[in-house]
Amino acid sequence: MRRLAFLLAGLVLLAAGCGKGSSSGEAGRLVVAVDVPVTGSPYVADTIRQGVELATSNLNGGGGVRVGSKSYLIKVKLYDNHLSARTAVQNARRAIDAGAVAIVTDGTGVNATWQLAKRAGVSIAITHDGGTGLVDAEARPNVFRIAPTNHGIAFRYAEYLIPKKLKVGLLSDDSGYGREGAADIGRAFSGNPEAVALKLTLPAGQTDLTPQILRARRAGATALLVWGQPPTIASALSAARSIGWKVPVYTPPTGSDPFIRQQLADHPDWVDGLTFAGGRLTAEVGTGPFVNFQSQYESTYGADQVGVKNAQGEAVVQPPEFAMYSYDFVHVLLAAIAHAGSIEPAKITAALNQVTTQGANGDERGFNEHSHEGVVDDDVYFARFHDMTYQPVQDDPLSATLPLIPQTRSQ
Amino acid sequence: MRRLLPAVAVAALLAPAGALADVQQVLLPGPTPYPTPSPPLATGGAPPWATLTFKIHASTDQRVGTGVDSRGRVVSVRALERLHLTGTGDYLIVVSAPVLDVRMGPGSQSEPGQRRGQILWSGFSAKRRLLVSDAKLRPGPVRPYLPLRLEAQREGDRYELTLTNATTTAEVAFQGAGSPKELAALLDRTRRDSLAHRRLRPAYVTIRGAVSQRPGKTRISAPLRVEGSLRFPSAPAAASGGTLDGRTVRFAFVLGDRQPLSRRIVVSGGGEPKLSLVARPDAVVRGLAPPGARSWSAALARRPLPADALLKRLIETRMELVRSDQFQGFLSNPDQLGSDRTVYVYATTAAPKAVATPVGSSSGGGPLTLLLAVGGAVVAAGVALVTWAHS
Repeated sequence: MRRLAFLLAGLVLLAAGCGKGSSSGEAGRLVVAVDVPVTGSPYVADTIRQGVELATSNLNGGGGVRVGSKSYLIKVKLYDNHLSARTAVQNARRAIDAGAVAIVTDGTGVNATWQLAKRAGVSIAITHDGGTGLVDAEARPNVFRIAPTNHGIAFRYAEYLIPKKLKVGLLSDDSGYGREGAADIGRAFSGNPEAVALKLTLPAGQTDLTPQILRARRAGATALLVWGQPPTIASALSAARSIGWKVPVYTPPTGSDPFIRQQLADHPDWVDGLTFAGGRLTAEVGTGPFVNFQSQYESTYGADQVGVKNAQGEAVVQPPEFAMYSYDFVHVLLAAIAHAGSIEPAKITAALNQVTTQGANGDERGFNEHSHEGVVDDDVYFARFHDMTYQPVQDDPLSATLPLIPQTRSQ
Repeated sequence: MRRLLPAVAVAALLAPAGALADVQQVLLPGPTPYPTPSPPLATGGAPPWATLTFKIHASTDQRVGTGVDSRGRVVSVRALERLHLTGTGDYLIVVSAPVLDVRMGPGSQSEPGQRRGQILWSGFSAKRRLLVSDAKLRPGPVRPYLPLRLEAQREGDRYELTLTNATTTAEVAFQGAGSPKELAALLDRTRRDSLAHRRLRPAYVTIRGAVSQRPGKTRISAPLRVEGSLRFPSAPAAASGGTLDGRTVRFAFVLGDRQPLSRRIVVSGGGEPKLSLVARPDAVVRGLAPPGARSWSAALARRPLPADALLKRLIETRMELVRSDQFQGFLSNPDQLGSDRTVYVYATTAAPKAVATPVGSSSGGGPLTLLLAVGGAVVAAGVALVTWAHS
């Protein structure tokens, strides 16, 4: 009798073990990996991680995502890639072993990790790096991005600057980011060589760029487009202004990095007029959705302090742009899980092509079979600094429609 | 609303008409609803999430390229849609179509996206934007909505091509006592719109007494203007239904609009031809031609015209114009008030080669494999437990 009881118990256990998503009321777990440069670029790492965590905590608070008859809570696993491709590969292996359904990354090492992830059916979402070769819906079907692309920024800059009849000095630093940007900007301006005064590579990390800036002035440049890391942009601005050259300076999204304002805090007027390109923070519906997201973000993590004050003595904060992208990806991922009706990574990855959600800024976010870019070229806008905060420019059709996002907090 | 079945509208119209009003204004057909849900093509499922604010307007011109085999059967369909946006603002446009693949067409200022059954556009329009999609469509689901049906036959030396207007549908019409003078004026207005290739404007007719459903359904067709040629390897001996010009037989006619809905071209000799033709939804001309006068009002002034015949003519021709307008938009236009123009191009093409589908190529096996594996594991474990229990 006792043996029969064991037998029945064993069969019951076996049956329970075989049934994925069985009738148990307990929620399962889905892992979303976040692979970011915690020690290499902490601001970027924090903002991406916090965007993912904010989205998942909201979801988990509501009982998780339901697939069939079972609910799943999202667990976020954080990995530090140290801005190293090799570490990113190790992290991708660990994330896949941990059962991750998706890896959210700044973009470090994606050229090396996407194949590993593809074999496991796992999707990779880039939410910072706009590098042109990183995303290719046909060649890399598991790689997606929600962030402005270098191609889109370069194209928009050409569209914006060429009609101004400026002679643009195209400066880029010798970092990977600078080299990729130089290639894209070169292509965008290739049809209008008369608009280019010179092309020059700047040494990344060099604090004094005066010789290069003087050379640009001698070449007849009437504007500078500096594509590089934040320290390069700060050095270029510093060099131009210190020789009394009021040339307009244009940059990619790195121009909005708090580092530049911190470096030039003693000369706020040097920052005035700096124009950068970025992904729009608001949709046509107005500031409401983004401000809601921002206030939710700040009440959870606090505002991202830039570390400078404006002329009125108010603290300047950075709107959580990259947090918005990772936050949006999690929402698209959840829509894909629901669409797939499955927690199999490969099915979720395929479903990412078929869904659209409303992003934190009120705009639609989604991918499709031809494009894995969640920020289209048309979403790139231009903003100009004044008094340590920025606002959309008025001489570009898209930017002129965008409202100002508050960037100061009373002390 | 534009796509609702007309029967619903007519039913709604007739219900109050049964009431006792002596004189009433009754809405005439046009510009909408269309008599059938498609065209424009629809792929079913959940309605696509799309936004086009009132600040942006859109018009389309489209070219539907249909490849047919030697017997006239549709083997491929390709749709080029040029969407002209005007206005400043964001747009998210979803065009439903059984799309196999879509690429950016010539002159497009953006690239289209693709999902199952959808062509997507997303971006920002600064005053003007041209979006051009070049899509390969699955012929099966598209075939029933093409306006022209072709059938080619060969018997020895004799080649016969039959072209049939495939837009015919049946609709419910109403009847009642109208005023000949008003009906003549409405016919003149409808005729002006038709000849100018303008979409119909809403119009009402005054009916005295009861309005009732006309017995039976009215069969209407969009007039189709067809022009094309059959090019033979060698000069045919004779041809009817077209003009023989060396090795080519040319033809041009309208299918519908009080003319036959089907035409036959018969050719003797010449070998296997290559077909090339263009079909366009056209205006109603003959159906709206006033009898013996420059206008319907003038004709009425000359001699009495029966009011019922005028009302019947007015309703039928307006239905035909609505049907013609329906086929002007083969793919959908996100702006329901926007204008559309579509040309349908048919050409002989090689039949697509059958592609062998590898059997059992799935890496993980099918559900049956999974079921067998799980079942096997349960049985094996059970046997092991029983063995252990008896040990």
